[in-house]
Amino acid sequence: MATDPNTDTVPLLWRVLVLTGIALVVGSAASLAAVALVELVTLLNTGLLVAPKARVQWESLPWLVAMTTILVPTLGGLIVGLVHRHLSPVGRPLGPPDVIEAVQFHKPLPGLRSGLISTGTAALSLGAGASVGQYGPMVYLGAIFGGFARHLRLGVPNLASIAIGCGVAAAISTAFNAPIAGVLFAHEVVLRHYATRAFAPVTVASVTGYVFANVIFERTALFRIEAPGIAHGYEFALVAALGILVAAGAIVFMRLLLAVGPSLARWVKRPELRTALAGLAVGLTALALPDVLGIGTSTLRFATIDGAFGPGEVVVLIIAKIVLTALCIGAGFSGGAFSPALLIGSLIGVFFWTVASGVAAVPTSGAAIYAISGMMGFASAVIGAPLTCILIVFELTRNYDVTIAAMVAVVFSNLVSHRAFGRSLFDVQLARRGIDFSLGRDHAHLAALRVVDYLQSDALTATADDAPEEVADRLLGQGWREAFVLDRDGRLLGVFTPGPHDDVDRVGSGIVPARLVFHDTTDLAEAMERLRGFVGDAVPVVSETDGKFLGAVTEADLVAAWLDEAARLRREENASV
Amino acid sequence: MRLSDLCLAWALCATPVAAGDLTIVSWGGAYEAAQRQAIIDPFEAETGLEIDVTVYDGSWAALAERGPAEGWDLIDMLADQARVACARGLLLRLDPGALFSSEALADFTPVQPDRCSVPQNAYARVMAFDDRAFAGIKPTRIEDFFDTARFPGPRAIQRSPDGILEWALLAEGVPPEQVYGLLSTDRGLRLAFRKLDTIRDDIVWWDDPAEPAEMLRDGRAVMAAGFNGRFFDVAQNGRVPIDIVWDGRIIGIEVWAIAAATDALDAARDFIIHATEAASMARFAARIPYGPTRRSAFDRIGLNPDTGVPMRAYLPNAPQHGGRALVQDSSWYANTEEQRQRRFHAWLDAAE
Repeated sequence: MATDPNTDTVPLLWRVLVLTGIALVVGSAASLAAVALVELVTLLNTGLLVAPKARVQWESLPWLVAMTTILVPTLGGLIVGLVHRHLSPVGRPLGPPDVIEAVQFHKPLPGLRSGLISTGTAALSLGAGASVGQYGPMVYLGAIFGGFARHLRLGVPNLASIAIGCGVAAAISTAFNAPIAGVLFAHEVVLRHYATRAFAPVTVASVTGYVFANVIFERTALFRIEAPGIAHGYEFALVAALGILVAAGAIVFMRLLLAVGPSLARWVKRPELRTALAGLAVGLTALALPDVLGIGTSTLRFATIDGAFGPGEVVVLIIAKIVLTALCIGAGFSGGAFSPALLIGSLIGVFFWTVASGVAAVPTSGAAIYAISGMMGFASAVIGAPLTCILIVFELTRNYDVTIAAMVAVVFSNLVSHRAFGRSLFDVQLARRGIDFSLGRDHAHLAALRVVDYLQSDALTATADDAPEEVADRLLGQGWREAFVLDRDGRLLGVFTPGPHDDVDRVGSGIVPARLVFHDTTDLAEAMERLRGFVGDAVPVVSETDGKFLGAVTEADLVAAWLDEAARLRREENASV
Repeated sequence: MRLSDLCLAWALCATPVAAGDLTIVSWGGAYEAAQRQAIIDPFEAETGLEIDVTVYDGSWAALAERGPAEGWDLIDMLADQARVACARGLLLRLDPGALFSSEALADFTPVQPDRCSVPQNAYARVMAFDDRAFAGIKPTRIEDFFDTARFPGPRAIQRSPDGILEWALLAEGVPPEQVYGLLSTDRGLRLAFRKLDTIRDDIVWWDDPAEPAEMLRDGRAVMAAGFNGRFFDVAQNGRVPIDIVWDGRIIGIEVWAIAAATDALDAARDFIIHATEAASMARFAARIPYGPTRRSAFDRIGLNPDTGVPMRAYLPNAPQHGGRALVQDSSWYANTEEQRQRRFHAWLDAAE
């Protein structure tokens, strides 16, 4: 590493100015872009007869409505698939996992072109009524603006990561009219630390987003809830039980979502046909069940009205929405899982309420409390952000009782889903790419470093036929105590230590197996764990594929690398300004 | 060719003989009287033009049938009717940018002039109640209209789906901006009619907009859905203790439009510009409680010149009213008329 990005090289005042400026610029841009994305989707939903309000106005031509219901998602899917395949360098939609990866490892986001195409296909996917969410694309869109800070050389450590956090927070803040939730989401999901250097600008960006959404555009929140308080104390226990129920639903949903992609890819080879098929499935289902189209703002509202759904109806809708969302995302539609999670969770809440109040005849405070609790319990299990979800409820309802009820559902849901599935859908998706956050941020960072990068170039090798005395002389000359004995193909046979083997005539008969061998895939976290109790000069590193000896790493080098990384993280996580 | 040109010229010259320089079509009654005093008379005095006022029933069909024969130039219309008439080519295309400066366009509220019409005043469907019927706690919210336990008594409602379906969903806690979206779904209509079911036995129906205020006066109803101007008129002039609840008001817009067959285009355009000045709107709103459609006009509205009543409090779109307000979605109204009527009558029939 040539320069340590944590080193403060510029004066304090300059850093403050840079961070504030970045927060304002990125926050404004991300907020405007989020507003534009929502408007574009609304426009498409109206023009393509996805929105109920547009559909009903063409009711006099039922064949037209039926045709568009089937064709719009299907053709939308075909176009999304073709665009990803032919125009996007990464060939897939981008979302929060890509943002998390870029921020955590200080890597650039996937190319701008891929990002813009992913945003465009997200607008098309949402506009054509695919069962996907808008917050994932919005988070990515916000991150794109933050990502530009990477090209700035302003002397503030970790500026790009902070700027991405700013973009994400502003987008969420604009979308939900929830600035506190925006700040928490950026920290809880993306940055995963609360350093003041990040917290302050992210807050500024989030408030900027709120100002744009609320003051300048006077937009109403995408989902406004007016809920009554909690009438009975025992309802908190009911809500806890609901939390466990939605966790089970969320686990089924996430497992299905992760399984659909690969199996669909086996069945249908052409990616554009996969999205077209998923669109067709949505269209056909929507003929009978129009609630499944799009993000389902109307359906979300109905969930808060007592008795809007019959018990049978709500079960069918839950299953349809889970399957179709998994299908759409798995097939490659561009969009997130959060909005569908809100919808499915609230429907499970409604189902729970129907059973509790209807079948078991327990007096309750109405469907709205259970819809909101179920919604946030489910969504927090999916995005792994319990605090964000609790704060969203608080900011949307401004109601203390409802927030506490939702909090109970959220923690019980997270308890179950974290244990049985993982912290979030994003983390499990990242884990499948080899980035494991399940043991925390520092572990993931250490796991991202490979021991093969710390090889000692002067590690001494020998062949089985070498004379022990000659090897001992070479060892003495270089100050090593062990030689790594290789065969003709360069594969490691074992370790030769002169001294106790004075009686042998060739190295080959004196070798012992290496006590510890690392592969080129071994990461620093694993290496540190395995070094426990190791005594010796260095650990040989061999290629995992062909067993060839690559070199050796010393314990001292690994410990130094570990200390450096831990110090870097500590500085990042505790940076003031 | 020559002959037809001649005929056309003759026709153009002949039409004004049958009428004044400009023929305006409006609603008659107190409304027309206020319009004359506030807008038409000052325009005549200013320009020297002679204006005839004709009355019609407000439908675009009347414009199609009577308009060309009677030489209609300017029509006072409901926004949704104007939309239909515009789509059918009965109205002249306007260029709002040519009629108004960009500041003036931005001054219009809640909607701006569109391709065929210029907003002139705002009325509202509101809930009103007989103060004598509720001695203690008075109704204050739309929810109270559906709460026959706390506020018992007959409710006067128009025999039409207009307005009452919106109220049913507002009373279920749906925020105003989502009402039309939800009413567009089958589930939304079901929920609205379910809410109506809860007061089915307490409904007295009206057809003539004058009736609801009379019903409150006669004690035939204790609460009524109706137009704010009618309630105001009976309360002020009839000395009847009727109070208006502004929560859940559904604001509708009256527009000026020019008939496609007009023969006095320039005068008609001048009239629209004159009629939609803030001062004209304020003079009109001081005489009858129909609110201006420009922000700057609110500041000019004072006492009614005849009764001395401070009028600002009675305007449906006055900024000081709290509670929920819904702006009637005129294109949605125009396009869903048939479906809403069908569902509404099915619900009515199910009762009988």
